[in-house]
Amino acid sequence: MQKLDELCATWAPRLLSLLRFMTALVILQYALTKLFGVPYLEGLANQPAFSLYWFTGVIELVLGTLVLLGLFTRYAAFILSGEMAFAYFIEHAPHNFFPLLNEGNEAVLFCFTFLYLAAAGSGPFSLDAALRQNKRA
Amino acid sequence: MFDQVRAAWTPHGLSLLRIISGLLFLEHGTAKYLQLPHLAAFDSMTWSSMIDLAGIVEFTTGALLTVGLFTPIAAFLASGEMAVAYFTTWAPRSLLPILTPGGDLAVLYCFVFFYLIFAGSGPWSLDALLKRK
Repeated sequence: MQKLDELCATWAPRLLSLLRFMTALVILQYALTKLFGVPYLEGLANQPAFSLYWFTGVIELVLGTLVLLGLFTRYAAFILSGEMAFAYFIEHAPHNFFPLLNEGNEAVLFCFTFLYLAAAGSGPFSLDAALRQNKRA
Repeated sequence: MFDQVRAAWTPHGLSLLRIISGLLFLEHGTAKYLQLPHLAAFDSMTWSSMIDLAGIVEFTTGALLTVGLFTPIAAFLASGEMAVAYFTTWAPRSLLPILTPGGDLAVLYCFVFFYLIFAGSGPWSLDALLKRK
């Protein structure tokens, strides 16, 4: 039991970095399709400039990249979490109560994952961690 | 001060993430078994298919994760199920998860639950309640 606790204590921060990295990759897909149409997703690709969806694409591209690299993760993740909350209530919630039916499942999961990242930070594999180490040295 | 508040609330944030992702996961299970909510795609379930097995895992681990009981084991099963779901159902259909509805979600679930295996269930959970006794 002792050994297992130790194992979890060492690996939890590393997996936090993995979770951060993967979540950012998933959201970056949406930014890329909205802004550049690559990958091409019907109905979402190539938003007209300065429209609401275009702006969300810009937010996702800039902050998603920051979260991917683990730079200023807390701030970037906090704003992304807020964006996802908005997305859920504007785009998904009016259609149906159940996330499974209004297809807002993913928005909810993004929202709370980013909220957790805003609190927990970026973990050891990140630019934030590298900068902190540099400052200490 | 900001750092102190954050340090104090991070474990509760973990519990929040676990509860929400558990509820979302449970919803996939209840949709398959209780038709709650009703989803036409699950009407033709045969009770002996792969999707059946998936429903059982989603139902039980979703419920366990929501209340925070045996979180590491439940998260392990749920994460593994999502990895299998991704590679058997979504990955063959397209290279990028965004191009298949549900592929994205499987990836997110998989990594959130993978993290929960090691991070545990946080203070708002039955696990924490049992440990205190």
